[in-house]
Amino acid sequence: MDDRPTALITGATSGIGLALVQRMSDDQRLILTGRRDPSVLPEKLPQGTQYIKADLSVPGVGVDTIEAAFKAADHKSLDRLIVNAGTGFYAPVEREDAGMIRSTLDVNLGASVILACRFAPYLEAVGGTVVFIGSVAHRGAANMPSYAASKAGLAGLARSLGSEWEGRIGVQIIHPGPTRTGMHEKAGYPTGGKRDRLFFSSEGMADEIIRLMDSGRPHGTVMLRAGLRQLFSGKRS
Amino acid sequence: MKALVTGAASGLGLALVERLCAQGADVVAIDRNLIPSNDGVTALTVDLSDRDAVDQLNVELCAMGPFDFVVHNAGISATGRFEEIPEQAYQKLLAVNCETPMVMTSALLQAGSLAPRAHVLFISSISHQTGYPGASVYAASKDALAVYAKSIRRDCSRQDIHVMTVFPGPVRTDHAERHAPAGANAERRMEPTVLARKIVRAALRRRKTFYPEPQAKIGGFLGTLMPRATTRFMRRTIFEKLDRTVY
Repeated sequence: MDDRPTALITGATSGIGLALVQRMSDDQRLILTGRRDPSVLPEKLPQGTQYIKADLSVPGVGVDTIEAAFKAADHKSLDRLIVNAGTGFYAPVEREDAGMIRSTLDVNLGASVILACRFAPYLEAVGGTVVFIGSVAHRGAANMPSYAASKAGLAGLARSLGSEWEGRIGVQIIHPGPTRTGMHEKAGYPTGGKRDRLFFSSEGMADEIIRLMDSGRPHGTVMLRAGLRQLFSGKRS
Repeated sequence: MKALVTGAASGLGLALVERLCAQGADVVAIDRNLIPSNDGVTALTVDLSDRDAVDQLNVELCAMGPFDFVVHNAGISATGRFEEIPEQAYQKLLAVNCETPMVMTSALLQAGSLAPRAHVLFISSISHQTGYPGASVYAASKDALAVYAKSIRRDCSRQDIHVMTVFPGPVRTDHAERHAPAGANAERRMEPTVLARKIVRAALRRRKTFYPEPQAKIGGFLGTLMPRATTRFMRRTIFEKLDRTVY
């Protein structure tokens, strides 16, 4: 019998999600979700993890798929729900169209609400925690307005829900600073050049996120601390 | 002056339509419900949670422009225990409260259907500063809207378009009556006509943000200073007194 705590991570096949998986797979039982087919994953997921292929761009359907597979694997409870899947487009208001706005809000905010709703009973069963991965853009970003809005929504959700669920289910939100992941290229953000050096590596960011998750603090931002550490040590993580 | 107001059939939206008409504006008024007829008002019945309907509406609106005064006022809520509210209600809420205002704003802007010196107003909520346990998704939607407005403000002002976010406290409307906890004092809520007048005045002064009443300002200040204590206070005064689920 596997008595390690169970964690579900969305958006686990790349970027920060994948880095979290690699760090957590030893001491936690992981259930991973992603949009990609398991056969085309760029890196092998650690042994003993369960992978659920689900597309959160239609939130209700994606979460249905995840919940069905979760139940089928006979899980009765969940210690951590890490809502990490996210999408965004690098387009200011003059260029952002309805499709971009809707898919950003659907994946980042709509699916997060539904995931929290659907997994609440499993979390409550063991006094678990939902961890939302936000973004430092939640305070506003001219080049990604609907992305910033979606992350602000997530921060607001975490704040009110955390208060409502006090004593029943933990709620955390962690806002990563700029991180070198595939998202920037997918979003159309110009990469390369000097600015990249200011970005975190996914691995370094995952370390900081794990540290903040373990601290149990309701919210945290990864911006300065690791940045300074990098500056002084010259090491990426 | 040509104006556009969403959620115009009742409450603050209706008061805004009346106010703008009184100031001589032609108003395009949108709501899913019947809008009281008035001189100078063009009423359109559209469900703003329906994506296809919104896309079609945007085409019509872009052709009706350019607008000088746009108010994204339409909003719905869902109050009660978070897990007891159906997911469809949440999806509808997010569509009406934040997705549609964003989609409409970018459509109008990109089509050149906002006049030079135009005002674009987003009605957020005091919950942006205080949190709102018992209406987490409503709070999330209003936070998203406020940060969207903040994000586009600079680019819009470069095109001479003024963006203002309003953070009202409770307003004396049927909406508030439906969602407030039992026994809440309606006397303390602001009259929609008063609020509408204040909002229009603040917009014409080209304010970036507007807190219509002192309580909202104090709440906002406390929310920034002591976010957790403020949200806990909101929990005690609202969530713990909610006796029903309304969506």
